[in-house]
Formats: sequence, structure tokens, C-alpha cells
Amino acid sequence: MSHPIPPAEQIAALVGHRFPGGQYCIEHWENVLLTGCTGTELLPDGMVHPVALFHVPILGSGTSIAEMFALGQAESDLSILIESYDWEMFAPLQEQICYDISAAITAADRRSNDAGNLYDRIQFCFEMHSQGELCARSTITWHYTRNTL
Amino acid sequence: MSVQVGDAIPPWTMASVSAERMRTMAALLRDPNPLHWDRDAVAALPLGLGRRTINQGPLGLAYIINMLHSWSGAGSVRRIKMQFPQVVLDDDCVIAKGIVRHIDDSSGTLLAECDVWLEHAKRGKLLLGSATVAL
Repeated sequence: MSHPIPPAEQIAALVGHRFPGGQYCIEHWENVLLTGCTGTELLPDGMVHPVALFHVPILGSGTSIAEMFALGQAESDLSILIESYDWEMFAPLQEQICYDISAAITAADRRSNDAGNLYDRIQFCFEMHSQGELCARSTITWHYTRNTL
Repeated sequence: MSVQVGDAIPPWTMASVSAERMRTMAALLRDPNPLHWDRDAVAALPLGLGRRTINQGPLGLAYIINMLHSWSGAGSVRRIKMQFPQVVLDDDCVIAKGIVRHIDDSSGTLLAECDVWLEHAKRGKLLLGSATVAL
């Protein structure tokens, strides 16, 4: 089944889109489950496993994976490929700290791969602050494939 | 710890990637993608992966962080950037590996710039990228 491809201009216009922003406090139970999923022991002194840098910024900024898929007019949940995840940590994340989170789309454009298949490359940048200090930055770059998968 | 350019980081092994952990992760992430919990959805893709769920990208990345923490201590990772040329599947045995490429002490903190990757015995490097680690 062929899916309609959104105009490239609509994709490019996503640059600068800002998410509502908000706060996220990582609870102990959540850190326990997250850390367990990575196959290691809980980190000491209430330190949160950095794997939280994927979903905490997303949810804390007032968006969701589903909305990020929808903004890029994904054909389906199955059509997204990861280009890269870039996590910068300026201070270890801690349980029970309420982080202020902001986010925006920083790049969006249409490309084609070596096989000639079209995709839209969209980059999301999230920042986590505590008491005004930048604690972490997460940059997610996804490919929204078009009639490929 | 004495670290030199060219040093190999002690590897960290995930002996069997768990479909159940993927399900827990999907719930925590509010990730609706069925690739992480529905084997039939994966089998239906034109990728020849069979009936095995696909591990979340952040989990593969976390295995590499676990290796770096085991080597240089919890909280030592300053930056990690990963690409995902191949998927990690449930029941895969994968090994996180790395090598020190550069050491920088210009900021007052000794930092190791490392190449890092996640390796499968038959399929080679599934994830690859770079990390900055405080020593």
C-alpha cells in the first residue's frame, strides 16, 4: 500500500516548533525499573541511570513519542528509523529532583538514501535544567521513511 | 586509574536481550511502537528479522553506558552519541566494547574520548558511536 508523502515544505516548517515545556521528577521506583531493564544494578546515592535521558525529556517537555511521530506525519509506528541519539550530561541526574525541561525541533528536511528512497530527517533537542543550571541535553534524530518499510 | 590512548575498555556483556525487559521499557517510555512488544509486527516487516522483537535504541545505548560505568565509575559519562546501523533483537547476545582514542586534560578534568560500539558475534557492530568519559 502506498502512503501519501507530505509536502517537503510542511516538514521544513517544523523547524523552530517548540513543545510546551514542563517539569519531570524521577521517582525511585521508576529508576529501579529503568535500571533493571538495562541489566545492571542501581547506581549509588540516588543517581538515575542515564537511560532516563530518552523518555524523561520527552514526557517532561509535554510531548510524547506518539506526538513526535505524528508531527513528522509518520506513515506508521513502524516507519521510523533512528539516525542518532546524542546525550550530554553536565551533572548526574538524581531521583526526586524536579527538572525543568524545554524542547524544540532544531532540524527538519527531506532527503534520500543511497537506494533512492525518500525520508524526512527530523531532529529534536531537549534540555533539562535544575535551579537554572543546565544538567543535560538530549538530541534525538529520526528518519521518517516514506514508502520504504 | 592509568589510562592511555589505545587502551581497550573492559567489555560488558548482555548475555541475552530480554523481550520482557523491552515490554517494561515500552510501558515506562509510553512507546506505542509494536516493534518492541509484538513479534508478529516485526515478522511482517520486509526486513527478514523473523519473530523477534526489536530492542529499544536507548537500551542498547545503556549497555554501553554500563560498560563505561564499570570502567570509570557511576556518573563518569559526560557525553555519548550513538548511531544504530543494525537492530538488536530479543535473545541476542551482545557485547559493549570501546577503545580510548584521545585524552584531554585542558578543562581541568581528565577526559577520555572513546570509540564505543555494541557487537554481535555474527552480525558485527550493531551500534557505534563515541563517548566522553571523566577519568
